[in-house]
Amino acid sequence: MKMKLTLLTAAAFTAVSAVFPAFAADDKIVVGFATAQSGFMQAYDQPAADAAMIRIDEINKAGGLLGKKIEVVKADTKSDRAEGAKAGLSVLDQGADLVVVSCDYDFGSPAALAAEAAGKISFFLCAESVKAGIQGVGPHSFSASVLAPVQGATMAEWAFKKKNAKTFYRLLDTWTEYNKGICDGFDWMMPKLEAQGAKLVGKDTFKNDDASIAAQITRIKALPKEPDAIMLCTMMPGAVSAIKQIRAAGINSMILNGSGVDGSYWLSAVPDLSNFFVPVQGSIYGDDPNPDVQKFNAAYKAKTGQDPSSQYVYPGYVMIDVWAKAVERAKSTDADKVVAELEKMKGEPTLFGPRTFTSELHHQNTAKYLIAETTKGKPHIVDSWTISEPIPLDALMK
Amino acid sequence: MLQIVFDALSLGSLYALGALGIALIFGVMRLVNFAHGDVIAFSIFALLWPSTDAMAIVFAGNLPWFLLIPFVLAVGAGLSVLCEIVVFRRFRNTNPATMMIASFALGFVIRYFLLMLYSSRPKSISLLPVLSQPVEILGARLPLLQLITIIVTIAILFGLVIFLRRTRFGLEMRAAAENFSMARMLGVRANRVIMGAFALSGALAGAIALIFGIQTGTADIQMGAAVMLMAFISTVIGGLGSLAGAVLAGFLLGAASVVMQVILPVDARPFRDAFVYGAVILVLLFRPQGLIAARGTKERV
Repeated sequence: MKMKLTLLTAAAFTAVSAVFPAFAADDKIVVGFATAQSGFMQAYDQPAADAAMIRIDEINKAGGLLGKKIEVVKADTKSDRAEGAKAGLSVLDQGADLVVVSCDYDFGSPAALAAEAAGKISFFLCAESVKAGIQGVGPHSFSASVLAPVQGATMAEWAFKKKNAKTFYRLLDTWTEYNKGICDGFDWMMPKLEAQGAKLVGKDTFKNDDASIAAQITRIKALPKEPDAIMLCTMMPGAVSAIKQIRAAGINSMILNGSGVDGSYWLSAVPDLSNFFVPVQGSIYGDDPNPDVQKFNAAYKAKTGQDPSSQYVYPGYVMIDVWAKAVERAKSTDADKVVAELEKMKGEPTLFGPRTFTSELHHQNTAKYLIAETTKGKPHIVDSWTISEPIPLDALMK
Repeated sequence: MLQIVFDALSLGSLYALGALGIALIFGVMRLVNFAHGDVIAFSIFALLWPSTDAMAIVFAGNLPWFLLIPFVLAVGAGLSVLCEIVVFRRFRNTNPATMMIASFALGFVIRYFLLMLYSSRPKSISLLPVLSQPVEILGARLPLLQLITIIVTIAILFGLVIFLRRTRFGLEMRAAAENFSMARMLGVRANRVIMGAFALSGALAGAIALIFGIQTGTADIQMGAAVMLMAFISTVIGGLGSLAGAVLAGFLLGAASVVMQVILPVDARPFRDAFVYGAVILVLLFRPQGLIAARGTKERV
């Protein structure tokens, strides 16, 4: 049976799997990782996958799920989209009840679509595009992170309400959807703040691999007054370059960012960076207000030998956590029953803040973010903020 | 206004240095070296200790500047010469398209070698942080590095002109660029000239790596690609094989890019590069041989 199956095409496999839904032995539940274990995405997928393994180990130690052990199977996407689809089929072939896919929508969606076609649940490790879920894959797909627009909206509102920032400047790196997402959230929030006295004094764009953003900086310097805050919608590696050039030009405004620049690994490039703010789901700096997060950080270090390098390890833990809860409640691993339980979650507490899923959105359109401030090259948590209202779906679909 | 001139000059300098590195090699062996961008990346990674951790372990990057600069230039030159000895020498009598494909392949080998040693995460490195201070010149406030980039580029260009015009090696190189087989018949040693061209080109890649590293504070395995593309376009619009043309076109391309960023309305700015490349196409329509056509590449009757 098994031998024959591997010879069948993907479509045929789907049809067959509908007839024989359970290949897995009944005494275990299988989680399949169709993530990058080699190539350039590996550096982004592996930390969150390790965090997911920590939660799986915890559950297994506590007696498993529905009395069964969780077994992990893996297939490498090799950071390649075509390989991603194969990896997805491979873990499904090995009986996966949950298919975990790459961090990024573009790299994770081939495997997620394979899972969707087989009627299985897929979870993006940390994708932050609204497409990573119902909108881009289908009704069985979820993302474990928070939408990028929430990050932009959070930073704008927090800076206005708590840091008294009145004038904002928006600098967008047009490279990825993630970057645009941050600025979309900022753009959605800004009119609300303008009604309360804030002002957007200018906008500009650059490209992540621009050798120099001198012209963009000249435009900021041409403003009659330095803006209170610069919303910088970008990601690595261009972010470091942009930040370095902004500070080298003598602009000392607050710099607001998305979570993509979290981490202290790059701070050596901009010595003594100050007045720099990042929204994070949990602190990797040893000062998280929640002691359980610090316990998790220690467990992560014990498992991998390294401290978490950025907040992007955390969604992997949240993912297994919410999925396992839904399985417990559904008393089954049947995809539709588990999805129904996940969609019942309204502000479900997790280690990294409450999570909500609905039948329209399998992603977070609001979240409690910690605010990490970098002062003299040292990041530390200074505050936390939840946006005053969730971002509506039409603003997300822009 | 003055600020814009400095912005344009500094970006143009970077492109001009890149274009020069490509034009030098094209001149002596009709090879468009697409591995040049990866030599740039390699030069900067040579300052870091190989590790796949997120945190970069700075190694040679801690050298004082008077050792650091020669070190990076030497790494670039060394790698470039190695490429010539190991790979390009074997392709010398093949047609240019074959050599170009070989250079692509070589570029991939270098890039994946870096990926293996350092992972795909961009690494951060603070090189010569004093250069990131702002300075004031004639009312324009600009990072010291920008000024130094412009001065260094001009110095390198003058140095190269003197080298090519006043030394025997330079004479041989110019002769080889003009008519390689004729030069060989007249006693120019091909291997020596070609190795010299690769060493110079590699050292220029090292110079770009340094400027790039200081400016962006980042070492990324992809970092050479963008400069490489712009540099290649510069050599084409400058006239393939023409060193002066490559430099001129590099500066023009930098200026065009900065001016577009300044004058385009905000909604059109994401498409800045489309406008720049549009200008490139226009130039090529009117001067298909390039701005300054090299004598060696003209069709002979």
